[in-house]
Amino acid sequence: MSQLQPALELAPPPVVAKSRLPIPGWVELLFRNPKSRIGLAMVGFMIVVALVAPLISVSDPTGFDLYAAHQAPSWHHLFGTTDQGSDIFSQVVLGARRSLLLGAAAGALATVLAATLGILAAYSGGIVDEVINFLTNVFLVIPVIPLLVVISSYLKSRNMGTMILVLALTLWAFEARILRGQALQLKNRDFVMAAKVAGESTWRIVFGEIMPNMISRIAAAFVLVFYVSLLVDAGLEFLGLGDTTHVSWGMTLYWAQTNSAVLQGEWWPFVFPGIALVITVLGLTLILAGIDEVSNPRLRDEVRVRRHLLRGLLFPTRRAA
Amino acid sequence: MTAILEVRSLSKQFRTGGMLHPSRLHAVDDVTFALQPGRITALAGESGSGKSTVARLLLRLLTPTSGEVLFEGRDVARDRRRRDVLRYRKQVQMIFQDPFGSLNPAKTVRAHLERPLRIHGIAGRSDAKPRVDTLLETVGLVPAATVADKYPHELSGGQRQRVAIARALAASPKVVIADEPISMLDVSIRIGILNLMRDLKELEIAFLYVTHDLASARYVADDILVMYAGQIVEQGPVDEVLANPLHPYTRLLIASVPDGARTLEPIEIRKGTAAAAVDPPPGCRFVDRCPLAIDICRRETPVLVEAEPNRIARCHVTAPRQREDLHAQPAA
Amino acid sequence: MTLAFSVTPDVPAESATPVVELENLVVDYVTRTRTTRAVDGVSLSIGAGEIVGLAGESGCGKSTLGNAVMQILRPPAQVTSGRVLFAGENIVERRREELRKFRWRNVSMVFQSAMNSLNPVMRTGDQFVDMIRAHERVSKHEALSRAGDLLDLVGIDRRRLRAYPHELSGGMRQRVVIAMALALRPELVIMDEPTTALDVVVQREILQQIRELQRELGFAVLFITHDLSLLLELAHRVAIMYAGEIVEEATAAQLRDDPRHPYTVGLLGSFPPLRGPIERLSGIPGAPPDLGAPPSGCRFHPRCPYCTRDDQALYARQVGERPLLRVIDAGHRVACHRVTA
Repeated sequence: MSQLQPALELAPPPVVAKSRLPIPGWVELLFRNPKSRIGLAMVGFMIVVALVAPLISVSDPTGFDLYAAHQAPSWHHLFGTTDQGSDIFSQVVLGARRSLLLGAAAGALATVLAATLGILAAYSGGIVDEVINFLTNVFLVIPVIPLLVVISSYLKSRNMGTMILVLALTLWAFEARILRGQALQLKNRDFVMAAKVAGESTWRIVFGEIMPNMISRIAAAFVLVFYVSLLVDAGLEFLGLGDTTHVSWGMTLYWAQTNSAVLQGEWWPFVFPGIALVITVLGLTLILAGIDEVSNPRLRDEVRVRRHLLRGLLFPTRRAA
Repeated sequence: MTAILEVRSLSKQFRTGGMLHPSRLHAVDDVTFALQPGRITALAGESGSGKSTVARLLLRLLTPTSGEVLFEGRDVARDRRRRDVLRYRKQVQMIFQDPFGSLNPAKTVRAHLERPLRIHGIAGRSDAKPRVDTLLETVGLVPAATVADKYPHELSGGQRQRVAIARALAASPKVVIADEPISMLDVSIRIGILNLMRDLKELEIAFLYVTHDLASARYVADDILVMYAGQIVEQGPVDEVLANPLHPYTRLLIASVPDGARTLEPIEIRKGTAAAAVDPPPGCRFVDRCPLAIDICRRETPVLVEAEPNRIARCHVTAPRQREDLHAQPAA
Repeated sequence: MTLAFSVTPDVPAESATPVVELENLVVDYVTRTRTTRAVDGVSLSIGAGEIVGLAGESGCGKSTLGNAVMQILRPPAQVTSGRVLFAGENIVERRREELRKFRWRNVSMVFQSAMNSLNPVMRTGDQFVDMIRAHERVSKHEALSRAGDLLDLVGIDRRRLRAYPHELSGGMRQRVVIAMALALRPELVIMDEPTTALDVVVQREILQQIRELQRELGFAVLFITHDLSLLLELAHRVAIMYAGEIVEEATAAQLRDDPRHPYTVGLLGSFPPLRGPIERLSGIPGAPPDLGAPPSGCRFHPRCPYCTRDDQALYARQVGERPLLRVIDAGHRVACHRVTA
């Protein structure tokens, strides 16, 4: 063995990655990307609010207090009160907990389903692929919101667990298809074949070789299901299909609607939960855009070219390349 | 010398065409050869000639349509049980063309090398480290401890290919199949990898070097097999075949290689492709491009004939069958 | 079709003004985080009817150089300094409209993959017509007829004008691309690895075609490739590029018989011979440098077998001072501290 010549390749490699992370620091890039940075800040803000919610809200956010009813925002009730006298600020901050929890849980469950089934289908091919594809198609065809409306109307319990399950089951198929597509591309990469040649089992290849290279797409799937769940859940509650004992943004909007708050000129029961929803969903969308840009180098180039052109437009004296 | 891996009449056909015109692509057609331990055999041909398909057949990434793959005398082509497949995989390994593509971007060098050790039960987590270090030293990646913790994107192309070679050697295989291992590397790096392959012959490994580059085949290999349209058209010791080619296609191939230091005699090139044919008719597949073609070439597919000791070619003109062989079955 | 390659290509007579002349060209890739100098002060001239080869490995800047001559550099690449003179005029400063006319009429380009140049959903003939009519006021009929002539020129049946690119073989596609590059009879055709993706027999056909066309039409060629052995057969002059600089420039014969730069020697020694004795080759140790942080002094010094501490004075120059291209013989320039004029 010692007779073999050592390679004198000690020169530093041409690609210098800023971080030690395997996919060259894409998480770092995410933090540097302006879109996702804003998004992360917005969602981060909401998380903080949700975390401190019990400390800054009243003990009974849905309690009656007719003396305090119909009040506009004031120092005492930052977001005003409902027609029953409940403090809207408390409802909003506590509602954040429910929304974030629901979105994250539905997102996680849907993503796990989508990733496992999608990658398995792509790698195994054959009958496994056909069966999973069939399953995916069935779930895809089902219209989400009407289904949820129907289910919600029939279910006795409308607690959060059920909601999470239902949302995950209706949203996983969309992502499964996308993840399957990406896994198909990876499957033909040499390193997957090398693992097979080395003797790896199917499951180890799916979870050990393919999935780690799809993290950014899986993260994107999670974020997408997250914000869709938020919107769908709020929408359902607004329509009156939610659990009326819950404290959530959707419920606040529902009560505001049923009590004709707008007709009475009260904007605060709508605006504040609405803003909270918008901030969260917008933040998630921006994160998604950031992930897209970071994982798709071509998008990055387009952004660069666009910025360059913009600079050329704004500063015409500088010679454009 | 007993062959460690032997291929007999190996064929692979793919179905092409739609439902209305079903046809078969004869990607690999009646290929027979043997690999000896401690020898490098080059499998040369242009794109589509079937050489990569042969490699994948040998690695069980494809199943043959017909023919046998004999490992240590036993036909392994149709093994189904995981235990048998795993045993074969331990003994027959591969080096891929793309040094970056064949390594998992999300894993360190150490992780890559440890997996084969774990899968084939050679070393557990605790005693893997010294083996990994030894492997890295064998392929010339020193200092081993530093390289082992790097990710593929932190290495140069040549270093990555050495990692791929180390991974192939991890399970101490008896056969290594290298599919164009240097074609994606910079020119000045290629020699290092070729030298490494030459040195690894010491380990009594049988190499199959799949390439389109005749010059590197000459540098590194002992024997050469030339493929055209899915068939082997010539085989023999590499120096003799390249110095004195029998098959007209081999002559064409040699004449086409750029070699700035020689005078080239004019040679005719007629249009055609080395790629495998769909539903080929009987007759020599090179006939439309061959300057030596005679009547029989169009009618009857030539078979491999040993024209001189150890010099085998598939050509009616330069390696004709003897009268006695008329009893033998013509190739499909 | 017969092949006839002579070993030493006839060198064309000296012409007064070179077709293209690069003067100290510097091209940078500028991003927010760092600036990488891909081409660092390259001077090169290409005479009328000359085939100039530009050899180098990946990352040496040769493709960037080719793109700079065509002025098709895209951000973040930019020409930081230096001039690209076409018929004596600097084209780096020209405005977009002038450049559009300049491109293809005066200088055209052939890329490695034909599918980069051909529109997959248009017939070949239509693509010719589009291109011709973008530069000249001719009728569609006239343009198609010229397209047919061009296909004749590269040995393809005229009827293939009606074919889509995917219906042609790789070699044919590349010949179509070459025909397109010659459509407006440019004075210079830049070819960036035009045959690398092709099989060796097809490559020989194409190279012979290029040679014949070049003799017939008299255009100059800048042939960019990593395959030095190919250039030695095809080109009149060859320039070797390393880490953004030209380190040696000579006629093909001089380079083959008397290479002076250690990198050239190492590169030539990296091609195993097809004939003659087989000796163990050593290639070049190490790897091409990161252009973002190139070695000090002579960029090749970390890999150079002659950079040792034996001669302290020389060593100091090798690691501290960039060697300049010096003429050592008629038509032969080298950038090496060990080579004196």
